[in-house]
Amino acid sequence: MKKLFFFALALALFVPIAASAQQTTLNFLWYTDATQATYATDQAIWAKFKADNPDINLNQEILFSQAYHQKLSAYIAAGQIPDVFYLWPSRRDSSALIHDQKLAKDLKPLLGADFLKDFVAPALDVNQQSSKQLSELPQSFTYTSVMYTNTKLLSDLGIALPKTYADLKAMVIKLKVKNIQTVLLPDGDQWPAQSCLFSLISGRLLGDSWIDQVIAGKVKFTDAGFVNALKFWQTMFTDGVISWTNIQEPYGDGPGLFAGGKAAFFIDGDWRQGAFLTDPSTGKALIDPAKQPTDFAFLAFPAIPGEKNPGVVSAIAGVGLGISAALPAGSDKEKAAVRLLKYYYSPEVMTLNWESGAFTPSRKGLTSDKLEPFSTMMPKYYASIAKTSYVLDGVLEPEVFNTLNAGLQSIGIGAKTPAQVAAEMQKAQDTVLAKKK
Amino acid sequence: MRRGIRSRAEETRAYWAMILPAFILYMLVLAFPIILSIVLSLSNYNGGQLFGGAQHWKITGFQQYERLVNDPQFWLALKNNIYIVIASIFGQLPLGFIFAYLIYRRIVKFGDFWQGVIYMPAIISTIVLGIMWSVIFSPTGLIADVLNKAYANSFSQSLAQIFHQAGGFTVNDDIVKKILGVSDPKALTVFANPAADLKTMLLTYQPGQLTVMSSDLTNLLARKWTPDFLAKQDLAMLPIMFVVVWCWTGMYLILFLANMQKIDPQLLEAARIDGAGEGQVMGWIVLPLLSGVIVNSAILCIAGSLNSFALIWAMTQGGPARVTELLSIYMYTNAFVGAPNFPLANAIAMSIVIFSVVLIVATKLVEKRYGGKE
Repeated sequence: MKKLFFFALALALFVPIAASAQQTTLNFLWYTDATQATYATDQAIWAKFKADNPDINLNQEILFSQAYHQKLSAYIAAGQIPDVFYLWPSRRDSSALIHDQKLAKDLKPLLGADFLKDFVAPALDVNQQSSKQLSELPQSFTYTSVMYTNTKLLSDLGIALPKTYADLKAMVIKLKVKNIQTVLLPDGDQWPAQSCLFSLISGRLLGDSWIDQVIAGKVKFTDAGFVNALKFWQTMFTDGVISWTNIQEPYGDGPGLFAGGKAAFFIDGDWRQGAFLTDPSTGKALIDPAKQPTDFAFLAFPAIPGEKNPGVVSAIAGVGLGISAALPAGSDKEKAAVRLLKYYYSPEVMTLNWESGAFTPSRKGLTSDKLEPFSTMMPKYYASIAKTSYVLDGVLEPEVFNTLNAGLQSIGIGAKTPAQVAAEMQKAQDTVLAKKK
Repeated sequence: MRRGIRSRAEETRAYWAMILPAFILYMLVLAFPIILSIVLSLSNYNGGQLFGGAQHWKITGFQQYERLVNDPQFWLALKNNIYIVIASIFGQLPLGFIFAYLIYRRIVKFGDFWQGVIYMPAIISTIVLGIMWSVIFSPTGLIADVLNKAYANSFSQSLAQIFHQAGGFTVNDDIVKKILGVSDPKALTVFANPAADLKTMLLTYQPGQLTVMSSDLTNLLARKWTPDFLAKQDLAMLPIMFVVVWCWTGMYLILFLANMQKIDPQLLEAARIDGAGEGQVMGWIVLPLLSGVIVNSAILCIAGSLNSFALIWAMTQGGPARVTELLSIYMYTNAFVGAPNFPLANAIAMSIVIFSVVLIVATKLVEKRYGGKE
């Protein structure tokens, strides 16, 4: 009896140990907004992966916005980079270190030509990535400056859709008397003003070639053209088109305020459409699907005085998953990581993300009859854009665009002039150029 | 004699045997990180494994310290830190002492209750407190809401008075002038020509729309709570200084109260019998007796002020436009935000250590010069 008991005990101890020994643990740093309606779908996606892959122990850590970048930077500093992580193609915060130090593997040989042939060409363009290799596979092509418009609110007040900045300015009083902001752009996290609007302003007034020249040190941020772009930003505050309250408003508050009718326009990236769609876990939507096509529209920012590139909107290759370069080639971990990526970019998962409004996928040939109106309206918005411009945090060095991020806030609260911010940016750019010499 | 020498050797060995574990622990836990931080501040280390990693790093000298002293943001962060130290030493300590004295001498009723109320913030998560205060101070938060409602009410009453005196809905130059007179000058910037534009606007309303017009004018022209102080670097720290005092005063109250309770009550009673007032008892007996505790509390205050991160990070993240950055946040942003610069972050850490040591030495000198004896 005793022997049987000890045998059973040993078996009970040994079996789980043996099972866990066969599992491959993947440390996965994942980026998602747990307060957004897309979160329930996201959870379901990873729950299915875990269920379908019992041999992989997915150690998932979820963060959002600046918290994600700060944690990834800390991991990089400690030499503890996760096995799989969410990565920007550009030099955005922690991503700059990953690209510079080649901390992510080139995905082309790992995923294979047969797998990658189903993705749109811009997603596979390595020139879109700071490391000049496919360090991450962009899940979409991202337009960072969508003007979400409450058309019903405007029409109830007898206001026509704006074609020029003057139209926008003219509606400030009509909206203000009803306690409604004209443009909502919550910049509490310090990057949206630059990424979602100033990049467009710079694209319209200066163009990408000017930015290329400033990066090469051939022109300066202190030149009149760039100072004028900053002056236009300042004008938006003095005209009351953007309220100073946006400087302190947390980024996450935007969708709720816009859906609640607190602003006529909300400027954010195309990724934000997901915040308004139906949350499968509650069955509720910030904006009722029935009202999405009738009461709302996605517009490009109206014409800016003195613009050289009319209609241009800032856009960039989207974010995606990368695999740590520290994983030994051919190892079980590397194979598990590739399996995870192939799952994430599979037609099924891409379609789920499309339906939830997380993004418009870079995978070709997807169809769905479950798309909410906003998800079908977004491709039409893309089609209305003739040309795109740089997103500044995608091309400038972090020292420079962080100075710009803080500078745009300083101008907004009246603490600094456009000329002062331009001078600070040039100083940061000079440091960057000196380092490269 | 020989036996004596052997004893001394044995004593030395025993001494080292006892001291060594603690010494090794100290070196590993405290000294090693400090030394490593100094080394990294003098290097070009850019993340990854320190030893044997793909990235090679080397000692590059005092470049980061030079960059630090030339960065205006460093001096702003240092100045903000000094504000926090001032708020702590001249806010938390005196208030903590006065509250403790009031409770100790039973000058206020329900001493235990007040002790609990004042100490409460110290036991709540600083992140929770930071978020709570950020909401209160936000442009759409409690303060803004209360003040804006008050401004709107006042403006609305002024409008009602203007139209009442005019005998109802009337639009003329005099009415326009009166409305402009009670309007917020900043709000009037929406008009190119305030008098003409406002008159044109008023003429768009029908006589029966006085209520709608009043509501619209209130939304448009009533004074609004604006963060003008945020544009002034020194004033932007005021809400944070207030929260820092509010948050930690209770801790010093407990410290002072515990030490006051050790004072022989007969000493105080004798002073009272000799005719000393409460102020004299506090100033001439209790305060000198607690001078050592006050110095230690001041050192705790300084250390806490220089370490303060979570509360202010949760409140402002150093914003808007980095005007509320402290040295700790400045260090954090250089290490983990944007373009990480680990050597610079370590140089900032060293500057915090140096600043702490200077302040603590100054506190000890002040205590030596002016402090009483317990």
